[in-house]
Amino acid sequence: MKRRDFIRTSVGASLASGALIGTGALNEAFGSPANLQNSYDLVAIKGGEPDTMFMMAIAELGCMGRFVKKGQTVVVKPNIGWDAPPERAANTNPKLVGKIVEQCVKAGAKSVTVFDNTCDEWTRCYRNSGIEKAVKDAGGLVVSGNDQSKYRKISLPKGKSLKTAEVHELIIQSDVFINVPVLKNHGGATMSLAMKNLMGVVWDRGFWHKNDLHQCIADFATYRKPDLNVIDGYNVMKRNGPRGVSVQDVVNMKYQILSADMVAADAAAVKVFGLEISDVAHIGLAEQLMVGTSKLDTLSIKRISI
Amino acid sequence: MQKHFKKIRLVLALVFFAAFLVSFADFRGNMPSRWHSAILYLQFVPSVIKFFTPLAVLSLGFIVVLLLTLLAGRVYCSTICPLGVLQDFFIHIRLKWMPKKGLRFKQAHRVLRYSVLVLALISLLFTGVLVFNLLDPYALFGRMAANLYQPALGWTNNIIAKLIPASTLHAVKINTLHLASVSFAGGSLALLIYLSMAYERLYCNSICPVGTFLGLLSKISLFKLKINPSSCTQCGKCQSVCKSNCINIKNMHIDESRCVNCFNCIPICSENSITYKKSAIGLAKKPVTSSDGGRRLFLATTTAFLAAKALPVFAVNENKSEEEHEDKICFFSRGPIAPPGAIGIDHLKSSCVACHLCIAVCPTKVLQPSFLEYGFTGMNLPKMDFAVNYCNYECRKCGEVCPTGAIVKLEKEQKKLTQVGKVVLRMNKCIVETEATACGSCSEHCPTQAVKMVPYYNGLPAPEIDPSICIGCGACEYACPVTDPHPAIFVAANTLHVLAEKPKQEALETVVEEEFPF
Ligand code: SF4
Ligand code: SF4
Ligand code: SF4
Repeated sequence: MKRRDFIRTSVGASLASGALIGTGALNEAFGSPANLQNSYDLVAIKGGEPDTMFMMAIAELGCMGRFVKKGQTVVVKPNIGWDAPPERAANTNPKLVGKIVEQCVKAGAKSVTVFDNTCDEWTRCYRNSGIEKAVKDAGGLVVSGNDQSKYRKISLPKGKSLKTAEVHELIIQSDVFINVPVLKNHGGATMSLAMKNLMGVVWDRGFWHKNDLHQCIADFATYRKPDLNVIDGYNVMKRNGPRGVSVQDVVNMKYQILSADMVAADAAAVKVFGLEISDVAHIGLAEQLMVGTSKLDTLSIKRISI
Repeated sequence: MQKHFKKIRLVLALVFFAAFLVSFADFRGNMPSRWHSAILYLQFVPSVIKFFTPLAVLSLGFIVVLLLTLLAGRVYCSTICPLGVLQDFFIHIRLKWMPKKGLRFKQAHRVLRYSVLVLALISLLFTGVLVFNLLDPYALFGRMAANLYQPALGWTNNIIAKLIPASTLHAVKINTLHLASVSFAGGSLALLIYLSMAYERLYCNSICPVGTFLGLLSKISLFKLKINPSSCTQCGKCQSVCKSNCINIKNMHIDESRCVNCFNCIPICSENSITYKKSAIGLAKKPVTSSDGGRRLFLATTTAFLAAKALPVFAVNENKSEEEHEDKICFFSRGPIAPPGAIGIDHLKSSCVACHLCIAVCPTKVLQPSFLEYGFTGMNLPKMDFAVNYCNYECRKCGEVCPTGAIVKLEKEQKKLTQVGKVVLRMNKCIVETEATACGSCSEHCPTQAVKMVPYYNGLPAPEIDPSICIGCGACEYACPVTDPHPAIFVAANTLHVLAEKPKQEALETVVEEEFPF
C-alpha cells in the first residue's frame, strides 16, 4: 500500500510537469509493470564508497529516472548543520550528495537545489562540509536556508503537538524532494535519522524542543513525505552527536539505506547503529500517525554487500 | 610635477578609504584576515597600542608613520586616516554647495589641542585607553562603519533581493542595532559633519590626539610647503582652498603643524609661489611661539604614556585569582563575556579602542557592542551576546583582525581550549525536568560535550555539565529553548581567561557486524 502511494505521487508530479508526454521516456522512466513489481520497499547496502553504493542501490529501485522526470525541480536536503570537515561525519557525506545531484541532473531535472537551515553559521557549514563544492561540481545549486523570508507557514492537521510550522518554500514548491540524512547519535532525540533531518527545513525549531521533541518530529513527518530517503551510514558518529567532538567519535561503517518510507528507513538505520527501534521514540510515534511502517519483516528488502 | 600632488593624494586617499569600506563590509568574515591587517597596518593609535601588547611586538606600522611624517609632514591625515578623508568629503560638499563662502585663515587653538593630547596621555594611567577610544580617528570611523554603514549595506542588499528575486542576492541577517552604540556612532557622525562643514579640519587640529602629535613632528619634517615671498602677490587664493585654515597670507606663512599636506594650494597659485621643498633638518626658522611649550609638555608626557601602556599588561599577568565557579552565580550577575583572545577583561580594557571591526566581521555576530557592562572605562567594548548567537568553535576571526592586539590571535588548538566563561546549569528550569519531555538542545550544540545527555528517569536523557572542559562558547545557552526569564543553561564570565581541560576521548570499538541486522 505504501508503494502504491509512492507511485501515485510520482505519476501526479510527472503529469503536472507535462514534460514527459510524447517523449517516449515514459517507459524508460517507469519501467515495465513487471519491473515495478520487482521493485523493493527498501534497499540496504554496505561495504563500498558512498557514491558507488548509491549507484548500486538506486539501480535496484529502478534508477534515478523513476524519481526525477525531465524538467522537474528537485530539492535535496542533506544534513549540513555543522561547521565540521567531512571526516567528522557531523554532516552528510559530500561524495554522496554530489552523486545524488549528478544523477538528478542526468535524469533531466530542470534544477537541483540543496539547502539546510544550519545550526552553525551557514556559509561556513556549506564550505567546510565540502557539500557546497560537491553540489556545484555536479551541476546543482546551493541556496541559503538562513533567510526567514523564504519560509512559509503550513498547517499540520494530523499533528498532535506541532500544529503549524514555517517551512522553506523549496520544500513546498519543488516537484521532487530527496532527503539525505547522515546516520548519527543524537543527545536529545537519541538518533538523528530521516525524520529528524526534516528539522532542517523548518524555521522555528525552538518550539519543538519545548513541546515534546519526539512528538514534534513525528508530527512534522505527516507533512510532505520525501520521494526518496537516502540515509548515509558511511561514517557514523557513535557518540557525542549530533555535533561530535572529534574523529574519535566516528566509525567507518560503510552503510547506506534507501527507501521512500521514512519510518522504515529510520527503523533499519537504528538497527544498523546497534539500538532497538523502540529506543527511538519518534519512530513509533510516526508509525501511529501512519507515516510509514517500522515492521521491517513485512517489507520487501534488498540487501547488498560489496 | 608638484601641480599633480593634489591628484596623487586624492587617488591614494580614495584607495585607502575604499579599502576601509570593503574591510568593514565583510560581515561574514570571508575576506582573508591578512587583508584586514594590511589595510589597518598604518593606523597610528592601534599600531602603537599593539606594539605594547604581549605577542605582538612586530607591530611597526606606527614607526612607518613617524618616519613618513618626519620626511613629508602630515600626509597621514589626508590620505591614510579614514576620518580625515571622510571630513574632506564633507568639506568638499559644503564648498560645492556654498561656493562663495571660501575658506580662510584662522588662529590655531593651541591650548585646546595640547591640553587634549596631554590629558589623553595622562588619562592612560587612570582609565586605560578610554580617551583614545573616544577620540582616536580610526576608532571613531570604525564605529560609524560598523554601526551605521554595515547595516545600511545589509538593508540595501535585502531590498534589492526582495525587489529582484531573480538576482543572485539573498536576504542577509543584519546585526542587531544597539541603541547606545548606534546613537554614539550617529552622534559622532553628525558632529563630524557639522564641524567639518562649519569649521573644516577643526577636529584634526584641535581635538585629534594623533593630529596634534603628528603636527608636532611635522614642524621638523624634511619636506614642507613654503610660500615664496618674492613672487607671492598675496591674492589669497591658496588661503581659500586650505582646509586646515593654516595659510596666513598676511605674513605669507604656512603653519606646518596644522597643514595636512592636501596640496590643494599648489595648483591654485597662478604665480607658482607655493612649493613643497626640502627645508633644513631641525627646527623651523620661524620665531618660536607658545607651541614650543606644548612640545615640552608633550615630551614630558610621552614617558608617562609608555609607562601607562605597559602597566595594564602587567596587571593581567599578575593574575587576579580566578573567581570560584559556584552555584550562587546567577544569570543576571554573571558578568560580560569577552571574546576568546581577549586574555581577560583587564587586557581588553587596556588595549581596545572600540573600533568595532571585530564586531563587523564576526561571522556569527555573537560579538556585540557593550554599553557600560564592562564599566565606564570599558565603554563600547565588544562582548559576547549569547542571545544573538554563539562563538563558532573553529573560528578565530576577531583575533586575526584586531589591529590593537586587544584580542590576540590564537592558535587553532589554543582557541578550542580557551575558556572565556564556564557553563552553569539550572536543572529546575530545564524542560526535561519541568515538562518531562526530551530536549537536549544544549548538548546538541556543545562542541566539547561539556554538557552531555545522560539517562535521567524513564529513559529520558537529561543534561549534565562538566565545567572543567567547557570553553564558554555559549552554544548551549543560545540553543536552550527556555526563556523564563532566562535560559536553563548559561555561561558565567571568566574575568581572566584560562585554558580548559581537553575533552577526554576514549577510543571506540570499531566492530561492524558482518550480517545485516534486519
Ligand atoms: S577588540 Fe575589536 S573593537 Fe577593540 S580594537 Fe580590536 S577590533 Fe577594534
Ligand atoms: S572567534 Fe567567536 S567571537 Fe570571534 S569572530 Fe569568531 S565567532 Fe565571533
Ligand atoms: S557547555 Fe556550553 S559554553 Fe561550554 S563548551 Fe559546551 S556549549 Fe560551549
